[in-house]
Amino acid sequence: MSVDFLHPEKGAAIDTNVPALELRGIDKRFPGVVALDNVDFILEPGKIHALMGENGAGKSTLIKIIAGVYGKDAGTIRMRGREVDIKSPRDSLKEGIKVVFQEIALISEFTVAENIFLEGYPTGRAGSIDWKKIRADSAALFDRIGFNVDPSARTGSLPVSQQQMVEIARALAHEARVVVMDEPTSSLTPNEVSLLFTVIRRLAALGIAVVYVSHKLDEVFEIADTVTVLRDGRHISTRPIGEHTSDTLIQDMIGRRIDNLFPRKRGAAGSKIALSVEKLSTAKKLNDVSFEARAGEVLGFFGLMGAGRTELAKAIVGYDPITAGTITVDGSRLAPHDTRTGVKLGIGLLTEDRKSEGLMGELPVYQNASLASLGAFARLGFVDKASEHRAVQDYVDRFRIKTPSLFQQVKNLSGGNQQKVLIARWLMRGLKVIVVDEPTRGIDVGAKSEIFALIDRLAGEGLAVIMMTSEMPELLGLADRIAVMCEGRLTAIMSREEATQEKILNAAIG
Amino acid sequence: MSLAGTASAKAQPSMLARLFARQELALLVCLLLVLAFFSVTVENFFSVRNLTNVLGQASLPLIAGIGCAVVFISGEVDISIGSLLATIALPLIIIMNDTNSLLLGISGALLFGLIIGLVNGYLTAYAGINSLIVTLGTMFIMRGGVYLYTGQRAIPDDASLDSFIALSDGRLFNVLPYSAVIAIVLLAAFAYVMQHRPFGRQIYAVGGNQEVARLAGYDVRRVKFICFIISALLATVAGIILAARVGSAQHTAGLNFEFQVVAATVLGGVSLAGGIGSLTGMALGVLILQFLSNGLRGLGLPTEWQLVITGMIIIAAVAFDEAKRRRANGG
Repeated sequence: MSVDFLHPEKGAAIDTNVPALELRGIDKRFPGVVALDNVDFILEPGKIHALMGENGAGKSTLIKIIAGVYGKDAGTIRMRGREVDIKSPRDSLKEGIKVVFQEIALISEFTVAENIFLEGYPTGRAGSIDWKKIRADSAALFDRIGFNVDPSARTGSLPVSQQQMVEIARALAHEARVVVMDEPTSSLTPNEVSLLFTVIRRLAALGIAVVYVSHKLDEVFEIADTVTVLRDGRHISTRPIGEHTSDTLIQDMIGRRIDNLFPRKRGAAGSKIALSVEKLSTAKKLNDVSFEARAGEVLGFFGLMGAGRTELAKAIVGYDPITAGTITVDGSRLAPHDTRTGVKLGIGLLTEDRKSEGLMGELPVYQNASLASLGAFARLGFVDKASEHRAVQDYVDRFRIKTPSLFQQVKNLSGGNQQKVLIARWLMRGLKVIVVDEPTRGIDVGAKSEIFALIDRLAGEGLAVIMMTSEMPELLGLADRIAVMCEGRLTAIMSREEATQEKILNAAIG
Repeated sequence: MSLAGTASAKAQPSMLARLFARQELALLVCLLLVLAFFSVTVENFFSVRNLTNVLGQASLPLIAGIGCAVVFISGEVDISIGSLLATIALPLIIIMNDTNSLLLGISGALLFGLIIGLVNGYLTAYAGINSLIVTLGTMFIMRGGVYLYTGQRAIPDDASLDSFIALSDGRLFNVLPYSAVIAIVLLAAFAYVMQHRPFGRQIYAVGGNQEVARLAGYDVRRVKFICFIISALLATVAGIILAARVGSAQHTAGLNFEFQVVAATVLGGVSLAGGIGSLTGMALGVLILQFLSNGLRGLGLPTEWQLVITGMIIIAAVAFDEAKRRRANGG
């Protein structure tokens, strides 16, 4: 029997002796890559099972096979002992498998309530959609979870965090046997995360098997009963969480010890002002923000959700319009709302939202990397492909970008490698200032330290790095100076030496 | 410093702005302005006779427009409908001339329409060919076929069945043309399906985001396939009414009709990108263009100028729409 989160009394008791979902010997190949190699993954009903692994370890592929997005090349899938053939998302949903995907998968023109019941509209008389029930049940669902989302809002108008809550609620709207959550907390506040954890525990108590994918070790230690680690497409270990420490877990994930997540190799920052921002305001968020960044330094911006970090990032590279203030890059004024001059002057943004603002997923790696510097490869107005490829190959080698070839579509790369392609794009252009917005969002531990090393190297090469982050360790580990924002204002700037977590948090609360 | 309270401090959009945010309402206002303007400037414009005449003329683009809008909303296009009008008139007229049966004639026409819909739908949804190319191709094939078959001569309706002729000049209660009644019934039925049946919402979801629709368990290809069949069948109905009106199967029937329908659909706020727009909007778009054309003719403006004005209105309407959307998304 499957269980309905909203009406648990309707379901029958779940037999806890048979695995809810059992994958054995799963193989999956993509052109040039073995994504999964003979992987076993067994879910007990009523247990919370964390799935961990580095970039490209195969977690997403495994989940997509469970969800019916990809077909497997070999292996068997059993639901409660019965072999099933999952060929499409439809088959997976029918088996009671609900997946909360990392990338928001909602129809933005629909209301929140309609999105929640997308996979099956309740119908009333003569098959008409029962909109009343949809609205009432959505409201009840949010109530039950404790999330504050308006069911009648147009989904596309909501901030990412609320869309993530809608995703979560959607997985609970129908009867389920297995609920998979892939990085469900990337945009949630600590309070919302604890609400989510309460829900997950309640699901487990109802006998549902929960898969929890996360890069956040503390979350996994808090919520999981069992941990399975994948590495390079292979199953490495499945153990009760009690047998793990952070060290053993990281070791399983990367196969070696990370001694220092924040390797600092660069010297002290120079004295040259690379970026100067004065009294910057925007219509929606920023209010009188002034600061300077020197060549060779990492200036970290911290702030809680909605503090205005992303808005600041977009305004100073000329992406968004401003209402007051000046931006000076390397001595020259940047006209507001003008990315073209921004790029010319040498300021670029590494966006928080790689998929919609950074990458052209369908295009190959080399075109994504060379996009901002095509002029440099031009001969008589045509792009000289040979020198373009050589330049990109150089970065692929130096940054150790894992890709079968320069011609691979960039959407097929893992998050960390996509991030490196974007960094390559800006470095090729010869930047003086790079603004990085949440550089490690959706990227796991091993790859994170590579991104940190890259950022360190950028500053070492004389760039001013403006880093927007909501991760305290990242901030304290990487930044030379720390700026704190609250509700669109700059509330503090301090050197790393004088910074403490308490000071930073106090400034962030305002 | 409190974390709450900033949102409520933001200015609420004005009443007028919120009204205009509703696409259909803005279109309705435009339609009323058009009606008001010509009622004042053109004699006999605002008469039952003229208004119902225009409704009768509007019935063809209204009926075909339903199919066009449904296909747009699913994220595809169908420009084969004009040629389809000419094509299905052949089996219709020929079968009626042979059998003296309206029912058999209509059945033959619908069967032809169904086959064309199946071909368009299969090539787009299952063979994965771009729908603009597919329907451009079938548009040429059908038009060429009709020219070849008829030798560019009209095939007259010799059976002259009363019931068939009534489709062109019959009026319900002596007021509303039957063709307009058919259009209104079909419009109501499909508007209901699009808003209140799961299948209608699936069409919106598929057009809104194909990948999300697939993850929600929808058979995206099947949904699109069916949309093309709907479009072809509705264009067939329009074609039958047209054949009744001209009393023959003509090789030039429905020439440029597809663009007239696409124009009205786009004016009605149905996005070519898919997932956005409504049948009500499409219907208002059709009516605005029809009354405009009728009124301008009443003012004595030559057809050439009507084309120019229609073109400008469509671009202006879509530009307005785009500006509104940009402001709503705060960019």
